[in-house]
Amino acid sequence: MKLSEVKVGQKVKVLSIKTKGIIKRRLMDMGVLDGEPIIIEKVAPLGDPIDIVVKNYHLSLRKHEAEKIEVEVIQ
Amino acid sequence: MKTIKVAVAGNPNSGKSTLINAIAGTHLYVGNWPGVTVEKKTATFKIDDLEVNLVDLPGTYSLSPYTQEEVIARDFLVKERPDVIVDVVDSTNLERNLYFTVQLLELGIPVVVALNIYDEAKKKGYEINTNAMEQLLGIKVVPTVATKKEGVNELLQALKEIAAAPDKFKPAKLNYGEEVENSLKIIEEAIQSRKELTDTYPIRWLSLKLLEGDERIFKEIGFRADEEFLQRAKSHFLEFHEQDIESMLTEIRYGIAHGVTEKVLKKKNGRRVDITERIDKVVLNRYIGIPIFLAVMWFVFKFAFDFSSPFCDWIDGLISGPITHWAKLGLNALNSPEWLVSLVTEGVIAGVGAVLVFVPLIGIVMFLMTLLEGSGYMARAAFVMDKLMHSIGLHGKSFIPLILGFGCNVPSIYATRVLETQRDRKLTAMICPPFSCSARLPVYVLFIGAFFTANGATVLWSLYILGVVIAIVTGFLLKNTILKGPIPPFIMELPPYRIPTLRDLKIHTWQKLRHFLIKAGTFIFASSIVFWFLLNTPYGVEKEKSYLGKIGKAVSPVFEPLGFGNWQATSALITGVIAKEVVVSTMAQIYAPESEEKKEEPTFSEEIRDIFIGFISAVEDAFYNVFSSFGIKSWETEEQPGKLQEKLQTVFSPLSAYAFLVFVLLYLPCLTFAFTLRAEFGWKTLGQTLVIYLILPWITAFIVYQGGKLLGF
Repeated sequence: MKLSEVKVGQKVKVLSIKTKGIIKRRLMDMGVLDGEPIIIEKVAPLGDPIDIVVKNYHLSLRKHEAEKIEVEVIQ
Repeated sequence: MKTIKVAVAGNPNSGKSTLINAIAGTHLYVGNWPGVTVEKKTATFKIDDLEVNLVDLPGTYSLSPYTQEEVIARDFLVKERPDVIVDVVDSTNLERNLYFTVQLLELGIPVVVALNIYDEAKKKGYEINTNAMEQLLGIKVVPTVATKKEGVNELLQALKEIAAAPDKFKPAKLNYGEEVENSLKIIEEAIQSRKELTDTYPIRWLSLKLLEGDERIFKEIGFRADEEFLQRAKSHFLEFHEQDIESMLTEIRYGIAHGVTEKVLKKKNGRRVDITERIDKVVLNRYIGIPIFLAVMWFVFKFAFDFSSPFCDWIDGLISGPITHWAKLGLNALNSPEWLVSLVTEGVIAGVGAVLVFVPLIGIVMFLMTLLEGSGYMARAAFVMDKLMHSIGLHGKSFIPLILGFGCNVPSIYATRVLETQRDRKLTAMICPPFSCSARLPVYVLFIGAFFTANGATVLWSLYILGVVIAIVTGFLLKNTILKGPIPPFIMELPPYRIPTLRDLKIHTWQKLRHFLIKAGTFIFASSIVFWFLLNTPYGVEKEKSYLGKIGKAVSPVFEPLGFGNWQATSALITGVIAKEVVVSTMAQIYAPESEEKKEEPTFSEEIRDIFIGFISAVEDAFYNVFSSFGIKSWETEEQPGKLQEKLQTVFSPLSAYAFLVFVLLYLPCLTFAFTLRAEFGWKTLGQTLVIYLILPWITAFIVYQGGKLLGF
């Protein structure tokens, strides 16, 4: 499933990033790598962006970017 | 005397600027990187007998070719080849910070890691084995707590040590795995003989970039991606890996960062819910997140404008009262001619006043911005507002500078510094002018009192809303024309909440003020004198015959289709460029000249006493304004002279009066705005903004007036 479809509070594992160039590199630079566990922590009051925990810190990204991250639920 | 060049690099939110302030606080010089509005801080100081030239690089997470900040950082590191890199690392977020460190090591330059925010890491129960880290990476590691200046001396000693024996501190050549190393060997062999390349670039770094397919580098050195040796170097990857090589290298670097972190970091206790997450449960809550944000904004606004306005008024009164008076006395004692007295008091002193009057306002706004940014709330504000702002094509963080624009557009320009990209900064600054600042209010009040007493509130609101609509439209136009470009993704760290140090607040506020005084102040001062000449030459003639009156006459036909093509209104608009409230005083002078009343001149000792009493009551008023009233105090204006309003009723119709107000709302806010914009973004941006905000108001007022006429108003 896509990261944008995951419910708040769930823990997932990244399978792949389905985009190229700047967005992919930026996500990877921030620690969103294949096989990385991620917790979906919060959704902004207006429904976008989302707040995730990756590599033990908080990262926010728009659903538009989260759609490009393929994940599987692990908890 | 030996000199070394030191670059300071590190992730955003790693406390880098706090550390730099602690190292070189008083020696810091703030400029910009050439051609962009990214801050460049430099400092020169001594450690015993060693001279250090320090350069602060933009805070970055990586050294990719994709963002302006990263390109600036890597270009400096590669081309200027500093002797040492100080890499500021957030100890509470070791792995992601070490990923950046790994990239720095590729350059082959000695590195000192400042393990910053060490106190917080200890509180979390982290233990970091610095010796093991030094061994693994071949670098120096110094724990620091920049907020308390701990570890700063040790850091300086480490710089001295490296300067004395640079060869001893060559960083470790990290092994990127057999496949990559073999490919690198092929590339290195192929470019070894190209002296012009090996002189400019560290060879391993360049080989890595060629393997990654870094487009910027290919362009720089004129290589093509299909060079024969590159094909050879990449061949076995392309056979076995689906993934692009750039992503693979990112994973390898993160792998090393992860491995080092595993080896050097011990966590004592389990993950406790920390204070940041507890605050965020409230601040980012679905239901009260937005009300909290709005409350914070309201406080920022009140502090920025209501708190600063008594001080601005005090400075204003000081300049136009005692200082002007003393200058007059002094000049008269020297038997100076009348025109010289006028030039000095109304030109020179008033010009200085025009600059100084902004000091409290900009100072307080910068203080607040540093507070929001340094505490970590700014990122939350962007998180909460992003959806709304994104829908009109802006970044979440644009909200704050734009809202400040309702008070004054000048601090908005400085507030755009919180945005990450040059494009976002420019875009936000360029759509500020239609946000109606408080200086335009006296003009609205004057005309509403004369023409729209029955529905004044509606007229006033309509202007504010029209301004916001025009700003949004302008934003869309700019984005598709002169500020074209891909929209940067919103991938933003939400850093832990931290309490900014007073030292940082002081230094940052002072730096911005200095920037304003030097870069904008000189122009504002000069143009005040130019305006004095326009208004007062030939000396002693009536307003109509002055140069300004003549220019007003010459230009006035342009305003004919808008319903106010007379020299009086035109002259008022021209002087309104100094500041919008001047429109009112110019009109008063032209339409209804008051006979000068002879006032009792106060004695010298009375004036001195009044200055002090005035300052004390300004302090009282400032606090009173912030904590007592619910409205925005600085928006209250005085009653206008009825005589002028009667006169206006004979010159304007309600429709042309409204068209005039629309023009006042939309044309260039003031000289201070113009020169601050220039100081921040350069002449070109100022030129574009000038053109936009002369054509746009004309078109809008034209539609209002001609449309109104067709509708029979």
